[in-house]
Amino acid sequence: MAVAGSAVGLGNFLRFPVQATQNGGGAFMIPYFISFLILGIPLMWIEWAIGRYGGLFGHGSAPFIFNRLAKNRFLKYLGVIGVFGPVVIFIYYTYIESWLLGYAFFSISGKLLQFTTPASMKSFLLAYQGLAPQSNLLTAYLFFLITFGLNIWILYRGLKGGIEWLCNWALPVLFVFGIIVAVRVLTLGTPNPSQPDWNILNGLGFMWNPDFSVLTNSKVWLAAAGQIFFTLSVGIGAILTYASYLNRGDDVVLSGTTAAATNEFAEVILGGSIVIPAAFAFLGAAGATQAAASGAFNLGFVTMPLIFGKVPLGEFFALLWFVLLFLAGITSSVSLAEPAIALVRDELKLSRSKSVTIFAVATFILCQPAIFFLGNGVVDELDFWGGTFCLVLFALIETILFIWVFGMDKAWEEIHHGAELTIPRFYRFIMKYITPVFLIFILGFWFIQQAVPTLMMKGISPQNAPYILATRIGLVVFFIAIALLVRFAYYRMQPFMPSLDNTKNRGEDA
Amino acid sequence: MNLWGWIFMLASWGFIIGLTIFCFYRVLVEPEQDL
Repeated sequence: MAVAGSAVGLGNFLRFPVQATQNGGGAFMIPYFISFLILGIPLMWIEWAIGRYGGLFGHGSAPFIFNRLAKNRFLKYLGVIGVFGPVVIFIYYTYIESWLLGYAFFSISGKLLQFTTPASMKSFLLAYQGLAPQSNLLTAYLFFLITFGLNIWILYRGLKGGIEWLCNWALPVLFVFGIIVAVRVLTLGTPNPSQPDWNILNGLGFMWNPDFSVLTNSKVWLAAAGQIFFTLSVGIGAILTYASYLNRGDDVVLSGTTAAATNEFAEVILGGSIVIPAAFAFLGAAGATQAAASGAFNLGFVTMPLIFGKVPLGEFFALLWFVLLFLAGITSSVSLAEPAIALVRDELKLSRSKSVTIFAVATFILCQPAIFFLGNGVVDELDFWGGTFCLVLFALIETILFIWVFGMDKAWEEIHHGAELTIPRFYRFIMKYITPVFLIFILGFWFIQQAVPTLMMKGISPQNAPYILATRIGLVVFFIAIALLVRFAYYRMQPFMPSLDNTKNRGEDA
Repeated sequence: MNLWGWIFMLASWGFIIGLTIFCFYRVLVEPEQDL
């Protein structure tokens, strides 16, 4: 349930429908499901199996788990990416999550639905973010403090009493709210009688009617692979940590597949039935295209409130919408914190409360630039390095390490240990060749398309350049700091490192 | 929505609902995993 909570995030409801609409509608589902089967599912099994294997030695974070997969003293530094990446995402994700809490509050207070035009709704968002002239961050900061405090409180309560408890009620609530909002959208009919073509059936057609010509376009295949990759939360390092709490005999094949299936339900069935069909029914084909092109956040924070403002009980449905997104966000953000907490707790032998306190103080400080310099492109920069580049790189490293270095036969046996389902044998070929080649292809494509222009600061205004540069220096310093912590822990604690035989289940005191 | 749209939507939903039901059925019939 915790891994499903980690996987179900804002991207399920906002990013997927935009990607599908812009990349061939129903035809997008062909590369999407192929990517799910040859990239997403194998990576899920690999991460679950690596995590459980590391947990047998008492390790819950990538640096020390990697160190157990093969005898090479540099491997632990490659594993630093699996701690660095999720903390970087946590820094800005918690802030974005707090906007959802704020918007949920504004939905019930009636303030949000006062705005009836895209321009006024956009102005409200900019003012809330402190980006409009004569606006301030006071309200946004207050909601950030509440959101951050909630995250830390859940983390303090531990894996079972905090994260598992949260996911056990938040995921069902999220699904119920999602179904209610989806049913409301699907029963909208023709909301504007003067525009009979703007109806929900045509809205579904706008989302699902396939354009087969896109299947020859490599960008569409990469978009599908990227969507699968991000939606399943693979390559972050959080699944690794969660799986480290499993027992040796637990079924990682079924657990990984179930988490992936739950995520797909939220994404394709709920995510695909809300924003785009609703945008089409109220704005028509041109308006929906424009809304999708304006980005996922604009759809969530501008287009959807405008739509709710036009339906009966709009405040209620807006509240459900923002609460479900907030729950999707918080179940993901707590998972992002776990690898760093596990590193401190497991390797420095500190108590959970001390580990969480260290994490809370460090990330609270690190969150400040994301909040106060949002308009200077700091969040976009953090998202590129932490939320895009590190994910693909880390997934590639762990796949090569587990399948090629640890060994295919051992990896296959490790994945199947305790599994009631047997993975078809052709997945050996997929895991060994197709998945890593796919990842190298994605990494190479993104490197050419995005990393080179980003590194060269193309499109960045001269006044924002110092902020971007400072962010990059900060990220490098932060990465080195984690690497030094890993080195310190490794050499200080090496004599006390547990072997496979004398380890108890880490979940008992989590 | 045209015929292909219906086919793609229902096939996608069917695949996911089927996979979800199968997984949860197997999870529920297996002994409970304790974290």
